Amino acid sequence: MNAVATAVVRRESLWSKAFYKFSRDRTGMISLVFVLFYMLIALGVTLGWLASDWSDVQGGKWEGMSMTYWFGTNMIGQDIFSRAIYSTKTAFEVGLVVALIATAVGAVIGAISGFFSGSWIDEVLLWLMGVLDSIPFYLFVAAIVFAMQESPYAMHVAMISTFWTGSSRLVRGEVIKLRGLEYVEAAHAIGVPELTIIFRHILPNTTHILLVQATITFVAAIKSEVILSFLGLGVKDGMSWGLMIAESSQEVMAGFFNNFLAASVLMFGLVMAFNMFSDALQDALDPRKVS
Amino acid sequence: MEILQYSIRKLFSGIPLILGVTFISFVLMVYFGPDKTYELLGKNPTPEEIAEVRVQLGYDQPFVVRYADYLRELATLDFGNSDSTGERVDALLARTIPVSLALTAPGFVLGNVLGILLALFAAYYRSTWVDKTIMASAVIGMSISFLIVIIGFQIIFASSYGLGWFPVRGWSVNSIGDYFSYVAVPTMATVFVALGYNTRFYRSVLVEEMTRDHVRTAKAFGVPPTKLFYKNILKNSLIPIITRIVFSIPLVIISGSLLIESYFGIPGVGKITYDAIVSGDQPVLKAVVGLTAILFVLAQLLTDIMYRAVDPRITLK
Repeated sequence: MNAVATAVVRRESLWSKAFYKFSRDRTGMISLVFVLFYMLIALGVTLGWLASDWSDVQGGKWEGMSMTYWFGTNMIGQDIFSRAIYSTKTAFEVGLVVALIATAVGAVIGAISGFFSGSWIDEVLLWLMGVLDSIPFYLFVAAIVFAMQESPYAMHVAMISTFWTGSSRLVRGEVIKLRGLEYVEAAHAIGVPELTIIFRHILPNTTHILLVQATITFVAAIKSEVILSFLGLGVKDGMSWGLMIAESSQEVMAGFFNNFLAASVLMFGLVMAFNMFSDALQDALDPRKVS
Repeated sequence: MEILQYSIRKLFSGIPLILGVTFISFVLMVYFGPDKTYELLGKNPTPEEIAEVRVQLGYDQPFVVRYADYLRELATLDFGNSDSTGERVDALLARTIPVSLALTAPGFVLGNVLGILLALFAAYYRSTWVDKTIMASAVIGMSISFLIVIIGFQIIFASSYGLGWFPVRGWSVNSIGDYFSYVAVPTMATVFVALGYNTRFYRSVLVEEMTRDHVRTAKAFGVPPTKLFYKNILKNSLIPIITRIVFSIPLVIISGSLLIESYFGIPGVGKITYDAIVSGDQPVLKAVVGLTAILFVLAQLLTDIMYRAVDPRITLK
């Protein structure tokens, strides 16, 4: 009797409900499979199992598709397929680093700013966000690339320092709402220190927002990485879809499209899958969202 | 009169933002930026020559003086001469800003108008196949990189491998016909890229407004659909719509056209900014950053005034 009762009364949390909802979402699950597949490729490249020959000159100039070179070869005879696969790792690396750090920074600053909203701390933090949002992005990246003396992480730093403001504003809004709830008041009343209230009692309740925001930042970082690498401000050593497209911009005028298509198709697949995954995640995690 | 007073107050309150933007970019671009001394000197310069060039460039001044100089330049809109071409920066901007505006305006307007129309359509037919098709296309559009769209459209519409209808690149506009042929491919690319994001944003704003209680009440009282739509839904969703449109203006002028202009070789602000980044042309960069900050403050002011016009409950205080 008792065993039956405990089996029936399951604890329902935001997470268990979200997990259930997500697992019933067909587009969400399909996109998750795609994202995981890309992630495996990226992992394989990192471990050296895949595409380790991306920089070797193997074939002739502009060979067509064949069994040895699935997407043909580029201007100097490198295997385009290997290069496109290797770029998946670059994209994932940039996306993960930027998304994780930018979201974490945004969470901390947003929580502090929201908790102290109306005070000078909030004013200063809001001013900082406004300032960072008003500097033209490409100029900012270029300036950081120069100031960091062409370090390979200049692009990451530039993206993190501008992308956190979005998460921060969202968290700030949510914290302002949570701050007025009874449980926070109760924590105040029994003398819990303010920082503990912010980071132990309030911030964990914004995790669902942060998770969705991290996926959005991930996509934004990948797209920016490609454009920055194309402009010569991003990836310097290594391969990236942006560099492949930069290479191809001369080739397409000569009528050779393989490089361009390989980079575009792989990038589109990843960004599309991640966008759909992000949407499904948002549907599952945000009970208030009307669709 | 009230609006004038408010505007002046608001402009003053924008000063911290301008100071912040100029300070950060000054530290990054000018203080850590490229040292032009040796580019202006011949081979084997003497210490006197080096010192002379450094004085000429203002490098011998302390940080505070140089930053104050920048602020003075911004206040008087006199940025001196470009390092790389020697042209006056204000003349350079006066020449390139109209080109950028002519280039981006059609795409910006079309992207937003079409976005709102598609969003209205999707919201009106919410959760039917019309809505689902529009929203699925929006996600597909959002997933294609701007870069890929630009190159793809150039191949499809302008190259000999595609339709070859428009010039491949460049900007030699002498008549209205030239203008349309040069602006066509960039406009299509901008609209394509903006449309997905815009449609999604506007649809979510409209749908949120449609599910409000007051709309349901109005419907129950028998308000006709068109009136319900204009008065109860569209008017209430104008605030987020205005905010999005106005705040994207400053970045559309500078960043949005940077990629297009440098790819298509169009002599606009984006192109000179890109060239200035590549060559470290500080007077131009200082002017572009400073003016963007001012545009942001103006955008903020403009949205506040427009909120007032849209929603009489908002007072300008």
